[in-house]
Amino acid sequence: MSAAVETVISLRDVSKSFGSLLVADKLTMRVDRGEIVALLGQTGAGKSTVMNMIMGTLQPTSGEVRVAGHDPYQEFEKLRGKLAVSFQTDRLLPWRTAVENTELGLLILGVSAAEARQRALTWLNRVRLAGAEDKYPHELSGGMRQRVSLARALCVDPELILLDESFSQLDHVTSKTLREDFAQVARQYNKTCLFVTHRIEDALEMSDRVIVLRPGAGIALERSIDAALRADPVRLQELHTIIADRMSVGPASDT
Amino acid sequence: MSAVPKPVSSPAAAEPIRREGLIPVLVVVVGLVVAVQIASFYLPPFVMPSPLTILKATIEILQTDYVHIGVTALRLLVAILFAMALGVLLGIVMGIFPRIRPYIRALVIIDTGIPALSWMLLAIFWFGEPEVRIFFILSVILVPFYALSIFDGIRSLPRDWVDMIESFRPRRWQVLRYLILPHIVPYVLTTTKSVIGYAVRMVIFSELIASAVGIGSRMSLAQSMFRIDSVLGWTVILIVLNLMLQAALTALEKHLLKWRAEASVR
Repeated sequence: MSAAVETVISLRDVSKSFGSLLVADKLTMRVDRGEIVALLGQTGAGKSTVMNMIMGTLQPTSGEVRVAGHDPYQEFEKLRGKLAVSFQTDRLLPWRTAVENTELGLLILGVSAAEARQRALTWLNRVRLAGAEDKYPHELSGGMRQRVSLARALCVDPELILLDESFSQLDHVTSKTLREDFAQVARQYNKTCLFVTHRIEDALEMSDRVIVLRPGAGIALERSIDAALRADPVRLQELHTIIADRMSVGPASDT
Repeated sequence: MSAVPKPVSSPAAAEPIRREGLIPVLVVVVGLVVAVQIASFYLPPFVMPSPLTILKATIEILQTDYVHIGVTALRLLVAILFAMALGVLLGIVMGIFPRIRPYIRALVIIDTGIPALSWMLLAIFWFGEPEVRIFFILSVILVPFYALSIFDGIRSLPRDWVDMIESFRPRRWQVLRYLILPHIVPYVLTTTKSVIGYAVRMVIFSELIASAVGIGSRMSLAQSMFRIDSVLGWTVILIVLNLMLQAALTALEKHLLKWRAEASVR
């Protein structure tokens, strides 16, 4: 008997418009527990809008968004401790050291100072920042700061981690190392991740499934990626080409 | 786990800071002493006494009137701490309660338009107790500086930080504790450094008008007795007091803002 798949994020016929501008049109998608899903799209495809609706900072115009069984906008408080976000920029508070930034979420969730510190140190160690705990953000490199940001998100042990272009501002080598490290940690601790990016390589490399968004429309493509596909450069290149093709088309009415 | 990558070192900005320290102050002091000495050769003693005479008067004041220095310093300290607390509170209320903001802002702006002399004269009418008068005068003059500065600080809070902290679903007091209060510390310190000299001048004026105790009242007494050397002696003490307060604030700033990267422009 196989265990039932638990859905962590579900969007059903979700539309969002800003005035007359339709950003998302009847979008339906889901992310299951333990999955790493990449949400791909070119600029203006509505990735950030979808992310904000899932975070609960934006209300959909119509349709239903559920995160861990709750409406993230209406039941904002109920997702306390269940969701963490790593943003495009590290967003570290400059007056807090690396470990103090890492433990911030735990302190907000009411974890005792001693336990928060211990867990923060553990996560900094896991993201390979042992020895830099007491450095202030301005004393760290861009890659190190982004690692602290990831540790801060992982540290609260959330059901869901949202990554909003978290690696896109880093150089290629640092970005690749960080992606690999993050994917390894996320899989090891069975974290559910929704990863927003405009870089196809990033999505193919670390996700179990890619969802391609089209500007002002719904989903243009959805594909699963398994280890076999990842190991086959020819098939991977084919998929890359298909995704690039789907990303580059205009709004739904043009196609 | 592997070794930590080499951190990026902070810019070498220590040298310009050192150049802003004690040496320029000493150079200016020596220059002023020389200027006073030269002036004393050409002017009568009741207009410009020599630096030595001023020094003797200063020593005499320190030996006999130190209580007045303590009283003035205490008044200054209490008023600044109160103005800081009330100003920060008003600034925070303006920053986080948009509905109340226009009313408090209007009140603060009107306050800044009232001349210090008006407050001093009104304080004499309204309050009989000299301590209350001085406290009131200093408070109404200093509070707007803090309130407007803190409000400005909250307005400049990066949206990215707010979104980051809100992603953890904090209570409102947690946003205040973990984000807003640490963010406004530099604004509080900068405002204090800006107003300290002004506050010293205001406390002296207030004492001159509204009290028989304190540096201001002693300066008034020296003036009435044609003791220009004492007036200049008190002035020297006030300058030193101001420099000491600025130095203490700089030290406090270095301690509280050690997280801040110093930048220098070539």
